[in-house]
Amino acid sequence: MAIEITRPGKYSLILSTPVMPAAGTVGFGDDYRALLDYDKLGALVTNPVTIDPWRPASGTRIIALDAGVLAHTGLPNPGLANVISQYRRVWANMPIPVILHLVATSVSQIKRALDMIDDVDEIAAVELGLRDDISEREAVALVEAASRMEKPLLARLPFYEASQLALPIAEAGVDALVLTAAPRGTARDEHTGRLVSGRVYGPLIKPIILRLVGRLRREIPADIPVIAAGGIHSPQDARDYIDAGAIAVQVDTATWAQPKMLERIARDLGGWIATRQKDALSDEWNPDMGHTEAIERRPDPPSPGSKTK
Amino acid sequence: MKETQAYIERIKRVNRGYQRLELAVDKSLASMLAGQAMLVRAIDKDYDVEHWDPYLRELWFPVETLASNIVVVERPARRHYTPGQLLSIIGPIGKAFRFRQKLRNILLIAHNTTPSALLLTLPPLLAKGVGITLVLTGSARRYETNHLPEEVEVIQAEDDLTWSDMVMTLGWADQVFVLGGPGNELTYFGDIMGLMRERHHDIPANYLFGVIKRDLPCGVGACGACSLNVGGGQKRQCIDGPAFDLTELRLN
Repeated sequence: MAIEITRPGKYSLILSTPVMPAAGTVGFGDDYRALLDYDKLGALVTNPVTIDPWRPASGTRIIALDAGVLAHTGLPNPGLANVISQYRRVWANMPIPVILHLVATSVSQIKRALDMIDDVDEIAAVELGLRDDISEREAVALVEAASRMEKPLLARLPFYEASQLALPIAEAGVDALVLTAAPRGTARDEHTGRLVSGRVYGPLIKPIILRLVGRLRREIPADIPVIAAGGIHSPQDARDYIDAGAIAVQVDTATWAQPKMLERIARDLGGWIATRQKDALSDEWNPDMGHTEAIERRPDPPSPGSKTK
Repeated sequence: MKETQAYIERIKRVNRGYQRLELAVDKSLASMLAGQAMLVRAIDKDYDVEHWDPYLRELWFPVETLASNIVVVERPARRHYTPGQLLSIIGPIGKAFRFRQKLRNILLIAHNTTPSALLLTLPPLLAKGVGITLVLTGSARRYETNHLPEEVEVIQAEDDLTWSDMVMTLGWADQVFVLGGPGNELTYFGDIMGLMRERHHDIPANYLFGVIKRDLPCGVGACGACSLNVGGGQKRQCIDGPAFDLTELRLN
């Protein structure tokens, strides 16, 4: 199966299955190789990469919530040049396309990044992470600068600004929109008593972003694909986003909680879309179906010599 | 490291605050060494997540390994577990503690947390005749120690983080492992470094270790939540830790 998850054009991204990890959840390379079969996924989205190295956040970075987690890592990374040199060989050996998640705060940073990225064939596409509280003007300027690159450009919108940014960003030259980054929240760290701000993850995020995806899908031009991200913890969650108009999904912290769930969602969605396109009955395929069950479900072949009407 | 299934075979209450769970685990986990841990979550019989609270996997440090692929962990008595409960385990997580070859005396300090992450050191070191002192400071003083081997000297520290015979125990130890509860552990490590510097002009390498026990979202080095500044670069608790030489760990 081949699914084009970006706008058709000179540079487009085609995946074998429309499921990928969200930025910040599975690392820069193959850190999850002992726990995940990358071959089953559609693409790898790297951890956020900045132009210059960023140190980890000081203080508390993870706060457990009821059925969720608040994370404030500070996006530690060794900088774009170092990430490329450290992981280029790993990416070359990955069985799936690599989407680099780029964090840039100015047009000049975008230009520096493009100089480094354009010649790296191992990077199939770039996902531009737009920061929270960004103005429309600034966001459009960043996207316009990034769209000059010779690779497909995805833009991940911040949660709270997604409604007002979606249309202008779609018209600024992106090849797909990622809706959205996890919402920001604040929680008290029980160990230190301090309030900590960070991104909030968990199953409860899904209904909120699902509604947003459904609404924005109707508002932005139909030729701009939407990739949905937020709170996916089961194959049904992913199917709901596809029903709401997304072309693909990104799975975030469910992978931390249950790594195989990412693979399972990828298998389910890939099979579901394939069978749906062929008008197959919905119960003819499921992600947990083993080879034996698949064979058993086939109708018995007519025995030699038997007659059929 | 891999993801495997296990189940709770036995549950034994060891004191008012803690219970010990005997886990029947995959053989890859049966030979874990002191310092290594597991990321655990309860699952149902279909190997699906039973519930999302707690959301992240919990970091469980073995306190003992028994024959026949059984590892023992210590959990708060207020948490409810049942024999036969299925678990999904990712592990082993982290690296084993690096003990000196000619270790004769070791000082273990637990600050603001249960010392369970240090307890797997006890059986092998006692078997080698190593003298072990366990100092409990801050909220760790509430930890009852009656069930620990008699050979382990247990000291309750004062509120100012000092204890009687402190000068002697510090000078006596060939190696020191300081376990800090999540949140303020780097500050505490700094305090311990200050104490040590009063005794040693230079703290030698491979002598004083900070043991970090923060929540680990992924456990494979992917998420960056446990990154630490060590020796001019970045290291991760889940891959390179949990013990870091305090002469290399950047504390601010």
